[in-house]
Amino acid sequence: MRTLLSAPAPWESLVFCLLLVVAPVVAAEWRQARWTLAVLAGAIVTALFSGDGTIAYAAIAVAALGHAVDAWPATRTGAAALVVSGGLALATGLALAAGQLTAAFVLSTLAVAVRAGVWPLNAGTASLCERAPVVQTQQLASLIALVFVHLRFVDHHLEAVALAPTVVRLGALAALIGALLSLVQRDLRGFYRATTSMHGGLILAALGAASHGNFAAALLVTVAGGLALGGLGITITSLEERVGAVRFTRPGGRAHGLPRLAAAFALFGAAGVAMPGTAGFVADDLILHTLWMESPASTVAVILASAMLAVATLICYSAVFLGKAAVLAAPDLAARERVVATALLALLLGLGVAPAWLLGPADAFLSVVPVTAQLPPGGGR
Amino acid sequence: MGDLVRLALPLAIVAPVAAMVFVGLRVLLADGRPRETVVYRLVMSGLGVSVAASAVVLLRFLGVFGAPVAGEIEFGSWLRVHDFEMPLVLLVDRVSVTISLFAAVLTVLVGRFSRTYLHQDPGFIRFFVLLGFFATGTQLIALAGALELFFAGWEMVGIASAMFIGYFHERDEPVRSSVRAFATYRFSDAGLLIATVTTFELLGSARFSALERAGTLPVGEATIIALLFLLSAMGKSAQLPFSGWLPRAMEGPTPSSALFYGAVSIHAGLFLLLRVWPVLEVSIVARAAGVAVGLATAVYAAAVARVHTDAKGALAHATLAQVGLILAEICLGWITLALVHLVCHALLRLGQYLKAPNMIHDAHRLGHGPHAPALLERWSPRLAARLYAAALHRLRLDDKIDVTFAPVLGLARALDRTDAALRRVLSLDGPRA
Repeated sequence: MRTLLSAPAPWESLVFCLLLVVAPVVAAEWRQARWTLAVLAGAIVTALFSGDGTIAYAAIAVAALGHAVDAWPATRTGAAALVVSGGLALATGLALAAGQLTAAFVLSTLAVAVRAGVWPLNAGTASLCERAPVVQTQQLASLIALVFVHLRFVDHHLEAVALAPTVVRLGALAALIGALLSLVQRDLRGFYRATTSMHGGLILAALGAASHGNFAAALLVTVAGGLALGGLGITITSLEERVGAVRFTRPGGRAHGLPRLAAAFALFGAAGVAMPGTAGFVADDLILHTLWMESPASTVAVILASAMLAVATLICYSAVFLGKAAVLAAPDLAARERVVATALLALLLGLGVAPAWLLGPADAFLSVVPVTAQLPPGGGR
Repeated sequence: MGDLVRLALPLAIVAPVAAMVFVGLRVLLADGRPRETVVYRLVMSGLGVSVAASAVVLLRFLGVFGAPVAGEIEFGSWLRVHDFEMPLVLLVDRVSVTISLFAAVLTVLVGRFSRTYLHQDPGFIRFFVLLGFFATGTQLIALAGALELFFAGWEMVGIASAMFIGYFHERDEPVRSSVRAFATYRFSDAGLLIATVTTFELLGSARFSALERAGTLPVGEATIIALLFLLSAMGKSAQLPFSGWLPRAMEGPTPSSALFYGAVSIHAGLFLLLRVWPVLEVSIVARAAGVAVGLATAVYAAAVARVHTDAKGALAHATLAQVGLILAEICLGWITLALVHLVCHALLRLGQYLKAPNMIHDAHRLGHGPHAPALLERWSPRLAARLYAAALHRLRLDDKIDVTFAPVLGLARALDRTDAALRRVLSLDGPRA
């Protein structure tokens, strides 16, 4: 056991994933079937720890199916997107087994794009954000695992490097579009949907930039985005449980009655737009330097996208929480919700202050090319 | 004694935010609202430690208690991945120690003033939490030895500023003003971030010391970087055409107006230009642009200040006029004059802003002097009337910026419609209840 714990392994990534799996169950008192929870946790552990790409991608597919089962009653579109993403992950595993690394790279990138809600492949994720935000929060855990597996198994060869500029540009464009969408949303779920889409674009751009060996940067972007979006999802769910659907028709004035909820929303929103001291700040800075190597124009696009999302977040916060104090009978954050919010914020702040805690081990681990990700003699294209 | 500086430097930065985190955790985790006294003492302890630490750094810089300490002080790396490093490096020099102690002392004074001024205000805790956040931001700006750390402080000051403007959030206008100020900040932050990344890629490091090599860059590249720095400074220091947010920022409580728009935050853009002077020095174009913008802002703000009917609005524009002059001084290369002007101006304005609520009382006591027609009014009443109207409407700067950005919002709405149509086509769900 001691040998297992001291061996190079993605323990840090596992902590983030499992926290995101458990967070909505605790915070929203979601009565999720225990077997689904066990399957999800098992699939994520397998994906992160397996040394075989085919098995890792199969585990990701199983996790996607688990999420789809949970999503189905609320949204068929979301469930279908999860199934499609699972299918793409399975196909990636098969391509890896056949030594088709280019096909594996393309399939895996598509799987990430569908799961992360990259525009215009965001129909499923948008549905999850609008109709099943709890499932959306939980699926961010296996998205982190999927990105990890992608970085480990399909991002280590020359074809990935050749495709990188295209992936970076598409990701930056998608991030810009997501940010523009966030500026004109008129309700809270719409804002969550657009924010998710912007972060999806950022993750895609980071994956492209990772092909030059900057694996840790892409992982940090995904983890920071996952934690911030997860926190936002949980606070939005908590708020809507109390006051119903929120539209931005006039200032909501809820900060007076729900001060802790307002504070949590503000902090997760700020973390999502790279507030200094949070993981997002370091992730943004790191990824911008990485992106510059591929495409300076994409770097500028991502910076502008981040600025626009920040403004949209403040507009959303103002519309939901500020204004003349509303009379609310609903209680503020319950103890279980506070514990989850504090844990997520602690991780966001911890990673912001000491990012080496995640980046050091992850970079060392991901920089080693697994046997299954190496080019077969004379093939792979 | 060198170790004392190594302890004092991070303490000056971290102490205020640590106090803020304590208060934040207390609010988030414990039931009930903490007492004003507890919040005040906690935050003021952090601010007090910051002042003491800044004073120690200044004394050591001056050579008290041993040989003078100056230059870069290394604290390892915030982040290191392959050849990329975000260094934790702080800078001890004439400018940094002056600004660090100056900002720390002013923040403590404003904290003390605010205890009485905001006693039993519903936002008392929020005010002091934000004050701690702001204090750390200003210390980072003052002491940072690299652009990444500087940017972190720059962002923190921007966020705190926007939150203070929207402090009285039960009214619509402060909230709208807060969003507008924040949007301007983020736009100018984008310029600083692009400049930071470009500097790193072209000079191999984003340390301020690396900027000394700016002379080795082709003039075109140096000019682009210098113009980006200038753009950031213009946004933060409300120079034309970004001046519209400053009078709106007066919606915040008087102590924060004094600290931000009289003393510290409004001068942050100028401080940035002092820090990146080696790049600015190389680019004649950027310096000429800075002089033109500074002088234009000074004329504009002086005209608007003369017609403003509210005390804080008039003060804001009077401040802006001086800030414009300081910008011109910096770009002309008169660095020492600019630094002295900056410090004296900040002190004067802090006092004036804090006294602003008493202005009506003072006016009653002192009486009003008769209005004598100015030279322009006598020479050309028609032109004077037109200038008066233009100044009264602040040249409609906000409207012009709205018009400039209208196509962006139009594009966003068109994309939103496309996105909705795409999702409708792909949807397997019925309409949402």
